[in-house]
Amino acid sequence: MRRFVQKHGWSYTFILPSLLTFTVFVLAPVVWAFIISFQEYSLVRGGTWVTPIYKNYVTAFTQFGGVFVSAIRNTLIYTLFTVTANILIGLILASLIQPLSNWLRTFFRAAYYLPAVTSALIIGLTWAYIFNAQWGFANYLLRLVGLPPVRWLSDPDIALGSVTLSAVLTVPATAVVLFSAAMGSIPREYYEAAELDGAGPIQRWWHITVPLIKSTTLYLVVIYTIASFEVFERIYVMVPSGVGNSTQTIVTQIYNNGFKDLNFGVASAQAFVLFVMIAAVAALQFRALRSDVEY
Amino acid sequence: MDKRVSILIRMAGAMSVLLSACAAPVAPTAPAAPQAPAATEASAPAATQAPAAPQAPAATPKGGLRKSNSGYKGTLNLWVLGYTPGNQFANPFDLAIAQFEADNPDINVEITGYPPNDEGFTKLTTALQSGQGIDVLRLPSDRLPAFVKDDLIAPIDDYLTDADKADILPNTLEAVRLKDGKAYAWPLWVVPMGIYLNLDVFQEAGVELPSKDWTWEEFVETAKKLTFQRANGEQVYGFSGFIDPGVINTWGLWMNEDPSVRPIVDGKFGFDSDKAAAGLKRFAELALVHKVTPPDFGSQKDADVKGGFKNKQYGMIVDATGFSPQLKADKINFAIYPLPSVNGNRITVGAIGLIAVAATNDKVKEQAAMDLARYLTSAEVQEDVPPSETAATGFYLAPAARKSVKVAPPLDQFLPMLDYMWITPLTPAWPKLTRLIHPEYQNIIFGKVDPAEAMTKIAPEANSLIAGQ
Repeated sequence: MRRFVQKHGWSYTFILPSLLTFTVFVLAPVVWAFIISFQEYSLVRGGTWVTPIYKNYVTAFTQFGGVFVSAIRNTLIYTLFTVTANILIGLILASLIQPLSNWLRTFFRAAYYLPAVTSALIIGLTWAYIFNAQWGFANYLLRLVGLPPVRWLSDPDIALGSVTLSAVLTVPATAVVLFSAAMGSIPREYYEAAELDGAGPIQRWWHITVPLIKSTTLYLVVIYTIASFEVFERIYVMVPSGVGNSTQTIVTQIYNNGFKDLNFGVASAQAFVLFVMIAAVAALQFRALRSDVEY
Repeated sequence: MDKRVSILIRMAGAMSVLLSACAAPVAPTAPAAPQAPAATEASAPAATQAPAAPQAPAATPKGGLRKSNSGYKGTLNLWVLGYTPGNQFANPFDLAIAQFEADNPDINVEITGYPPNDEGFTKLTTALQSGQGIDVLRLPSDRLPAFVKDDLIAPIDDYLTDADKADILPNTLEAVRLKDGKAYAWPLWVVPMGIYLNLDVFQEAGVELPSKDWTWEEFVETAKKLTFQRANGEQVYGFSGFIDPGVINTWGLWMNEDPSVRPIVDGKFGFDSDKAAAGLKRFAELALVHKVTPPDFGSQKDADVKGGFKNKQYGMIVDATGFSPQLKADKINFAIYPLPSVNGNRITVGAIGLIAVAATNDKVKEQAAMDLARYLTSAEVQEDVPPSETAATGFYLAPAARKSVKVAPPLDQFLPMLDYMWITPLTPAWPKLTRLIHPEYQNIIFGKVDPAEAMTKIAPEANSLIAGQ
């Protein structure tokens, strides 16, 4: 151990700034928020422990007509559809641009990456315009083909679907680029051997490409799941006043309790429910998608 | 010269010409402003959000309420709801502060604007709770109780003169008496809701202006006539309004069902009654049966409602007083009507605009802050900021809470409504209560739930909130 420290100890100074930043700005607030989730907290008076100690967690689920339960259900539906669609769309687009020339591949990668560097608020506002029931582009297209207008963002039965659709139709930039990079690193010999054995393009894609990019798929599934669980800006911009409870998500509830009502205890409790859900889902995904393949 | 180099040089030349053509023109040098005497020099308050705030003209001292006798020297931080440099709230405040500073050369007033939404109120609350950065604040009445509950606001009783008490409308002063019988803010103005009529749409549709004593049936008939399709296919709707947890613009249109329809009756939730359900059902029929509202009515953004009215897509909307100066400044052809009556019941919902002083142990500073608040809610401030190009109605953007203030058009159209204006309850539970009601209210309008069932469902929790549990 002493020899290890003498030999490698100095190298830890390089990660010290990141470690300090992480501790001060991430770890400490998270621990503090966990403590606050068992308190009634006021910016003026500080925190006092609630009784029973789990009271904030019960309140989180029961207040405002149990909207948090609806928010969890909405978040799960949104996550299921957006993660599945984003992975599939990313995979298909990356597969389509992979056989192209270097120049075209670079062009498409850059083009598809644009949404990742565009403000989420701008994207949300654009979709809010597209789905506007009165003068939106979507209803304009429907009118052109003689269909009646749809209340995309004002019908409780379809508002969540519209928001989900907007997320699905926005190109999954990170997925396209990472899948494309992963596909590019697969040795060509595998494809040549399969081709000699008579495998067609679809078979080569299914039996070589898809298994060999499994680790990338796992990474993307996890980060897209986390991002979907934390959906907020899109909802906040597209349906700021809500549509009944049909567009409430976990993070909008955390925001409402924390920043509208300054009810930090309940907001922190809801944040930890979210944390547990994300951790549980990520663990399941790691188990289901872990890859033993190396090349 | 190499041909490629030559082409490059020519391209660079062309680009430089293009770029210089695209650049913003150089502004002509403004003539030097006349030098004001050093003692009376008053510059515009520091713009807190954008550097392009219009410069308030230099003012000269006038005395009266404008002069603080506190002896305070230093800065007062004034937070103003809705203030953004250059907007309808900014110019009147800039001009008024310029005058106050002219009368009090030792006092510098810094204005900070905050938007009338959740972010704005969070910013305000956090600054107020931190005990730094706010001395005087303009806020709506429904936000006051929570601040008073946390002892963040100073009571004004020690500073109220007999003249103030005689001048301020008694019900507004009574409304801000929240704890121990003390008054906690200077009433600035009263903000009732009215029905805005776009007269161009009326003319286009060939609809006669109804009587201002109109009934619900007449209102619905008018809205139906104003719902039509233009030759270019554009759909015009008879009525719209903004619906959000934070606003009550539309509530008067169903609370007029019966005098018993109020959110809190005898300390209990009051919307779970048959009369309230009947009013809600009747209101929802505007969208569900009469189809006089836009398809996204119930979840529209405020800007879309207001923009639709200005762009002649809606014949009528319901909104508060503050929209009328905007319309006047934009030269929109409009009229303001009271909300229609039902069974002879007439009501308009509204709130009181207030100026409060943050609690502090510095009594000299508190006195100066109170003096500023008194001036900003007085008739003198309207004398200093009369109607003009930059302040359409003068300082007051709503009918004043003092008898001595002269109300400028078009705000005078709201004056008859003040007699029957219902003020939102000043209780700390109010924001949570509206959050609880909002989704059910929306679902009623969308036709997804029965009004009676929806209100009965939330009644137990509403009662808990009202009881402060």
